[in-house]
Amino acid sequence: MTAEAPPAVATGNSQESASPASGVRAWMSRHPLAAYAVRRFGLYLVELWGALTIAFFFFRLMPGDPIQTLIQSLQQNYIYNQQASAEIIARYRAEFGLDGNLLSQYLVYMKKLILHGDLGPSLISYPTPAQDVILRSLPWTIGLLGIAAVLSWIFGLALGAVAGWRRGKLGSRIMTNLSIALSHVPFFFVALILVYIFAYSLGWLPARSAYDSNINPGFSLAFIGSLLKYGLLPGLSIVLIGTFGWILSTRMLMVPVLGEDYLVYAEAKGLKPWRILTRYALRNCYLPQVTAFGISLGFIFNGNVLVEQLFNYPGLGTTLVTAIQQLDFNTILGVTDIAIFSVLTAVLLLDLLLPLLDPRVKYWK
Amino acid sequence: MPMRILIAVLRTIRNSPRLAIGLAILLVMVLVAVFSPLIVKGIGGSTDPLELAAYERWLVPGPDHLLGTDQFGRDVLAMVVSALSVSLQIGAIAGVISTVVGVIVAFVAGYKGGWIDGILSTFTGILLVIPTFPLLIALSAYAKNVSLFQVGVMISIFSWPFAAKTIRAQVLSLRSRPYVDLARVSKARDLEIITTELLPNLLPFIGVGFASSALGAIFGLVGLEVIGLGPGGVIDLGQIIFNAINTGALTLGAWPMFVVPIVLLTLLFAALNMVNIGLEEVYNPRLRGVAGE
Repeated sequence: MTAEAPPAVATGNSQESASPASGVRAWMSRHPLAAYAVRRFGLYLVELWGALTIAFFFFRLMPGDPIQTLIQSLQQNYIYNQQASAEIIARYRAEFGLDGNLLSQYLVYMKKLILHGDLGPSLISYPTPAQDVILRSLPWTIGLLGIAAVLSWIFGLALGAVAGWRRGKLGSRIMTNLSIALSHVPFFFVALILVYIFAYSLGWLPARSAYDSNINPGFSLAFIGSLLKYGLLPGLSIVLIGTFGWILSTRMLMVPVLGEDYLVYAEAKGLKPWRILTRYALRNCYLPQVTAFGISLGFIFNGNVLVEQLFNYPGLGTTLVTAIQQLDFNTILGVTDIAIFSVLTAVLLLDLLLPLLDPRVKYWK
Repeated sequence: MPMRILIAVLRTIRNSPRLAIGLAILLVMVLVAVFSPLIVKGIGGSTDPLELAAYERWLVPGPDHLLGTDQFGRDVLAMVVSALSVSLQIGAIAGVISTVVGVIVAFVAGYKGGWIDGILSTFTGILLVIPTFPLLIALSAYAKNVSLFQVGVMISIFSWPFAAKTIRAQVLSLRSRPYVDLARVSKARDLEIITTELLPNLLPFIGVGFASSALGAIFGLVGLEVIGLGPGGVIDLGQIIFNAINTGALTLGAWPMFVVPIVLLTLLFAALNMVNIGLEEVYNPRLRGVAGE
């Protein structure tokens, strides 16, 4: 899967008339794009299956008995106040998909997941299914993380382009070195410092939760204002650090492009520098960044768990930590599955779309 | 031979101020870590500054305690110094393990090619998309009381794919160089080609792999500690941050307890990243001057 130089789509017809071969191979040579899409989709399925399988077995091998935890928590809540009989334990085991050997558990889990999108009951809010628990927290994470990720990508692309354009100048050098120093700092550190300054020392912004509990959730101005106010600090900490990473990578893509002949020509033609920068230079180097953005979503999720936990933000990260503390296998696995699915799907879509966006990209031979 | 390597290293550093600064910061940190028992002793004098109730609780920073004391009356500076040493050890252990595994996988995949490469690369790719943090948290449930080394092994399970991916790409580009072909034509064995022709040329990239794995490992452990799920008995910089949050150091204004570990870790991450980028700049001609001045 390397970027091959032309002759591809245009030559399809001539090949067709030249070789009337039949079968899959011939079809593939006649429809290179379709063949590429099929192959790429096959790889996607293999990767998805592999990652889900590894995640499943990994969590099943974790020590601890979730059924005991469940019964204990039921007893504590006085819903159930006698010693659990073997029969009841067996029934719960079946409900949680924990009966039978590991292989049959795996088959049952995959069947339910693929056919019904069912992740099994959760433990942290039994008997709500895990997928409902996850769906409840997903909008918070997508809202916070999605907006923060897009913002840092845009800022990073713009600043990185300028840093590349004005390379050698003092401002650009400061920005580049700052990016190198700070691009790998965990979001969480910045979040902690911001909380200390703005929430505890100055008392300007709230430090916990996602909205003011005195305001009813809904489409009111007050609620949206509260959302923004509460989301500002966690969002800012992600944007601040995320931007530095994108500045660095955009600059690295930008500088080689600036030496190209067509830029010299554009300059000689007397085009305005701004137009050269945006229409000639940036346009030729932003596409790899689109792919990188898809891949980065998964990594942001890793760092985001800590930020959500610090702010007690009701998103996926907080749900995950709660689930782990209570040995809620189905929810833990569900969160992991969703992360896997979204990263792989994002990369697949970008890989399929990229040849359409950029005629230079040719994955097929 | 060692002299030649030393000269080569010095020449490389002279050409890249970024690499030099990164390595200098790392060196200072390693020195502090190595001498941490002495430093701790120096701070405490006759008493052990890490002992519970060694001093009064929540002392503000002053001449006696440069960074104050924590909720148990321990000297924060002494704690930070010994925690830094733990963090660095974790980075080194996990970095070495994942680099070795990554190098082996990368060489087998990149050099052998064909279906072996296909399988190994797909497997590496699969591991790369699984979010490591939930898995790491899950693993920590196994490990309530484990040694430093075991924690390092645990973390490197998830960080070797990054190293493998970086190095494999380089093996692929080196494999078809004329001098490798020459060695192959002159009937050198695979292992011989790998150790005498490929490995020396890949050292800088192995360095990059090591720096990023170490960085990932330290961050992973800090992340675990910060949400209170770290393995017991290991006090690294993350553990100090966790204590600071949990005991309300934020509201009490005991800022050294979390600001100092964060600054140290930030410095460490910056240094590792500078080494990374510095090495790539020096050895990857395509990037020379690109990421530079």
